[in-house]
Amino acid sequence: MNSTIHCESPWPHRFALVLVCVTFPLIWVGGLVTTYDAGMAVPDWPSTYGYNLFLYPWTTWFAGPWDLFIEHGHRLLGALTGLITIALVIVVWRNEPRRWVQWLTVMALVIVISQGLLGGARVIQDARQLAKIHGCLGPAFFALATAISVVTSSFWKQGPQLEIIGNTRSLYRVALFTAVLAYLQLIFGANLRHIPVTADVGQFRVALFFHLAGAAALALHVTILIWMVFRLTQPVKALRRPVSLLALLIVMQITLGVASWIVKYLMPISAEGRLREGGFVIEADGLLQALTVTAHMAGGSLILALSTMLALRAVRLAPSGTESSASFFCTSSRLTELTT
Amino acid sequence: MQCLVMLRFRTLAVLFTMALVAVGCDSPKAEFHLDRVFLHKTFGEPESREEADSLRNQVQNLKEVMVGLFGNPDEPHVPQLTDLDTTTVLDVGLIEMAAGRVASDEAGRGRGLYREHCAHCHGVSGDGAGPTAAFLNPYPRDFRMGKFKFKSTPLGVKPTHDDLRKTIIDGIPDTAMPSFRLLDDDEVDSLVHYVRYLAIRGEVERRLVMEVMTELDTGDLILDPEDRSNALVEENLELVKGAVATVVGQWANAASQVTEIPSPPDQWDSHDSVQRGRDLFFGSVANCVKCHGQLALGDGETGDFDDWIKEIDEKDPASKAPDFLALGVVEPRLLDPRPIRPRNLRTGVFRGGRRPVDLYLRIKNGIEGTPMPAAPASGLSEDDIWSIVAYVRSLPQEPISRPEVQVEYTRERL
Ligand code: HEC
Repeated sequence: MNSTIHCESPWPHRFALVLVCVTFPLIWVGGLVTTYDAGMAVPDWPSTYGYNLFLYPWTTWFAGPWDLFIEHGHRLLGALTGLITIALVIVVWRNEPRRWVQWLTVMALVIVISQGLLGGARVIQDARQLAKIHGCLGPAFFALATAISVVTSSFWKQGPQLEIIGNTRSLYRVALFTAVLAYLQLIFGANLRHIPVTADVGQFRVALFFHLAGAAALALHVTILIWMVFRLTQPVKALRRPVSLLALLIVMQITLGVASWIVKYLMPISAEGRLREGGFVIEADGLLQALTVTAHMAGGSLILALSTMLALRAVRLAPSGTESSASFFCTSSRLTELTT
Repeated sequence: MQCLVMLRFRTLAVLFTMALVAVGCDSPKAEFHLDRVFLHKTFGEPESREEADSLRNQVQNLKEVMVGLFGNPDEPHVPQLTDLDTTTVLDVGLIEMAAGRVASDEAGRGRGLYREHCAHCHGVSGDGAGPTAAFLNPYPRDFRMGKFKFKSTPLGVKPTHDDLRKTIIDGIPDTAMPSFRLLDDDEVDSLVHYVRYLAIRGEVERRLVMEVMTELDTGDLILDPEDRSNALVEENLELVKGAVATVVGQWANAASQVTEIPSPPDQWDSHDSVQRGRDLFFGSVANCVKCHGQLALGDGETGDFDDWIKEIDEKDPASKAPDFLALGVVEPRLLDPRPIRPRNLRTGVFRGGRRPVDLYLRIKNGIEGTPMPAAPASGLSEDDIWSIVAYVRSLPQEPISRPEVQVEYTRERL
């Protein structure tokens, strides 16, 4: 096993985890910014009403209007995420021998910087189209952060503990495709949500169709994944847990999706008349609307991250053993000792 | 193996980029569209090529005149009139607050309120054809005819400022129209002014289309930009000003024509009064039963249409709608011209409000733009109307108003 590369340091994984944990709320708050149409609550960028981002008086921030509160908060969280990404790059370059992992972190840094610039450009040019791209790149970053934390985890370094018999190769293919689908679905969702007011009913219909079809495809894929994972000869917890959680999330997500429509537009017309309505009045921008829609959006990111994790784990468990895979998988002597 | 995964990464990257490009496609600039259904109905199919050309010129000119009068969605104008104060009807400051793109300032004051809250259903031009409109039942209101259903004024008279405020603040139950009670007072005012602006804009457009049709010779322009001197221009300018003044005047006068609601007589909702109301409901004068049905389930006369659908065609909108679709007009009412249903009076849900005064106004004045008629001026006294109100209010309490019983009834009838 001379070609084995050793990855001893636990720090890359720890930093990656922190990054994942900060990115998720960032996505939530970003979603709230859209929900409350607060994207232009601060008209300048990178400054906030003339102040340096970090020096904007916190009393004004807390006491100010809600729009300003979330938009400035989003900027602060974004900046924090950027700083953590920089730290991650440094830690990984110093402690992680795998070149491609090092470059993954650089990619993350590039995305986080572009994300900041895109967010800024969206404000300066007041362009909703940019807001949409900004909103789609965010989850991609979240998925990347998840990926980095998976490939630096001890699970990754340890490799398969037992010999798994079963079609793991097609499993990881399906899993990877599911992750791609999850991302596409997210974009379809963003398309639906950011449909320009100048669009006509036909364009909205197409956007809606894609989002519904995407939901169906994703649900189907997750069902297939469950079946594949539970059919493996060995009960692989590392796959069973995420895939079960994924299934749960999909169910929740579909419920939230239907709920998002109902709290905004009431019953879908196909259901009208069959379900009795009770004189319900929708409250525009009420808490119910904001929470449902933002939760639906955050759920999408979570599904993407989880399916990315599942796909990578499936990759790791697929049969390997060639020379070149050493640099890909990496091992930790500590772990090898434990397991041999 | 690694190779394979790397390949996947590349496919992934390609997919990402493709998706992002698709997302990035820019949306068209917001502008007011002319009402093509009305244009086509008024002018009909041009018979020759020359006629088509001259018509196109006239319509283009009309569009320019409209922009001159009202500006565009990003920069609205309020037409100036010499002998009429427009500010109570169209306040420039409030209209600007609702117009344009969405933003807000440090004090939290919103901008672009109409596009933030309304345009995705009611459309940028107020044509009720925003992107989501086809999926809603009832369709979002098209403001361009200047007709509004729930108001305190008689048929044919515009709603007051407070009427529109009420609809925006209360919302409309069991429809997609939400309540905007969380908006600030001045924000609601700004939306009211903007809705009025869109309505006036639409009505002036309709009037000018009619003027072009009836007053101008074939091919003549309303205001020829190259010809500023002659008498014809003066004359046409008067036409335009006249159209604007008439419409704005109607809106300005609404407040003075509010229906007075007499206070209900003693015992107006007693058992006797309800019985009297019931008799009137089924009687030949009020004849509510004709539309609302024997059991008031709203299943009496069901084949009729509201005025917005009737615009397509009075009698048979469904068969005429494809003609307009063929012209490329995409509006929900053309995609599915739904008949109007008289209200089911047993659910206890009233769109215009369920207070006795709301019902009094609906029954006394009818509902603008729908078959629901005003109470006949002679034959029904004020007390009669209060009795009918009492009866209508008692309907949801009757046993038959429970859903199971209704299902039973419908099944029997089928
Ligand atoms: C020509 C048919 C017709 C007749 C006659 C008629 N209605 Fe209606 N009515 C309608 C229609 C159609 C609607 C639904 C209008 C709409 O969609 O807003 C309606 C709506 C109503 C509403 C609901 C108002 C709301 O706020 O939701 C009430 C109450 C009502 N009618 C009562 C009456 C009474 C009482 C009479 C007799 C005096 C009567 N109607 C006569 C057709 C009719």
